[in-house]
Amino acid sequence: MVPWAGTAGRLLLGGVWLAAGVAKVGDLAASGRAVHAYRLTPYDVSVAIGAALPMVELVLAALLLVGVATRVAATVSALLLAAFVTGIASAWARGLRIDCGCFGGGGDLAEGVDPAYLSEIARDLGLLVVAMFLVIYPVTRFSLDARLASQRRVRS
Amino acid sequence: MSKRRKSRPAGTQPGPGGRQSGPGGRRSEGTGRRSGATGGRPASSRRPAARADRKAVTARPRPVGWISVLAVVALLAAGLIGLAIYSGQRDDDVATPASATADGTGVVDGNGPVTVEIWLDLHCPHCATFEEAAGELLDRMVADGTITRVQHPVAFLDRASTTRYSTRAAGAVGCAADAGAHPGYVRALLAAQPPSGGPGLTDDELIEVGADAGITDPGFAECVREGTYRGWTQQVTAHAAREGVTGTPTVRVNGEDVPATAEAVQAAVARARPGS
Repeated sequence: MVPWAGTAGRLLLGGVWLAAGVAKVGDLAASGRAVHAYRLTPYDVSVAIGAALPMVELVLAALLLVGVATRVAATVSALLLAAFVTGIASAWARGLRIDCGCFGGGGDLAEGVDPAYLSEIARDLGLLVVAMFLVIYPVTRFSLDARLASQRRVRS
Repeated sequence: MSKRRKSRPAGTQPGPGGRQSGPGGRRSEGTGRRSGATGGRPASSRRPAARADRKAVTARPRPVGWISVLAVVALLAAGLIGLAIYSGQRDDDVATPASATADGTGVVDGNGPVTVEIWLDLHCPHCATFEEAAGELLDRMVADGTITRVQHPVAFLDRASTTRYSTRAAGAVGCAADAGAHPGYVRALLAAQPPSGGPGLTDDELIEVGADAGITDPGFAECVREGTYRGWTQQVTAHAAREGVTGTPTVRVNGEDVPATAEAVQAAVARARPGS
């Protein structure tokens, strides 16, 4: 059961990273602005995070979807998700009215649009649980990890 | 790691599930535990091959660790590639329109003592609302020498169109500034704002809106078609973000944030007027 659940979690988490990365990678400047909207980092740092993050998300997606180095990918995923939850919670606590920019977009919300902090945090916490499950049980069905391991056995 | 594996009791050898073990010794240990728990066959009934297998595995350190290392390297490289792409996208040498501010991040009209700055995206509905509500008031205050108006046409909403309409329209505002007609052109563009999610106005339509607003300079059409101020728009947008402008419209009177309504701007200008 556990390896199958792991496969489902791996595909879910990988799919989310893929969607998030693809949504942001086309406009890295916008991604940097979305980070800066949290008002947590100096502008140049925000821009650097914004430029680097979509690429990291895409590589995480590739690792998880293929199922290679699952524990590493899941660990990095968990760290990123924890950072996102912290960032959104901090924006909420400071009374900012921003879009999380999780899947592109981002920045201050227009008048009359309510922030969706609770659902954004709930979603990220859910994904965090999935990532932590994969850190503990990284062995999943249909993974390259498994294929590589079995190949090594045949060779040796 | 290999020590641990050697000392593992026979009953917890990786069974068929062991094939699933991935990189990292701890991982395969987890599998072993699990296959034991789910009723791995007793050691006595194991095929000899499984035994030989285990010997081979223990004899040679498994290269699995490298996969993890490679993954970490790939993640770091991805981040660096993102940074490289972004800095490659930045134009450092940009043409700046006539009547731009000294730092080149906005276009100016009027020369009154109070500075009213407006950050707007030509694809932003609330910017159109604000222009409709406060545009003429600001025109009057420019005309009677009360304010200097600085408009920063940013491209925050490039993804709201399929053609980077925000960037193209903001660049066209730079072209209109060269023709000495940017306030009227901004108003005309905001009034003709295309719906979100579509292709936006074409370059020809951007030129047409200019013609309707009285821009007859032939250089204007060329400037719009060639995207002369594309790089300038990037610069205006980056400056806005650096200034902490995270949404549009953002209005500042002498550097102070003011709600984007005609009343609030009027009151703030009245307060900021010298001698008041």
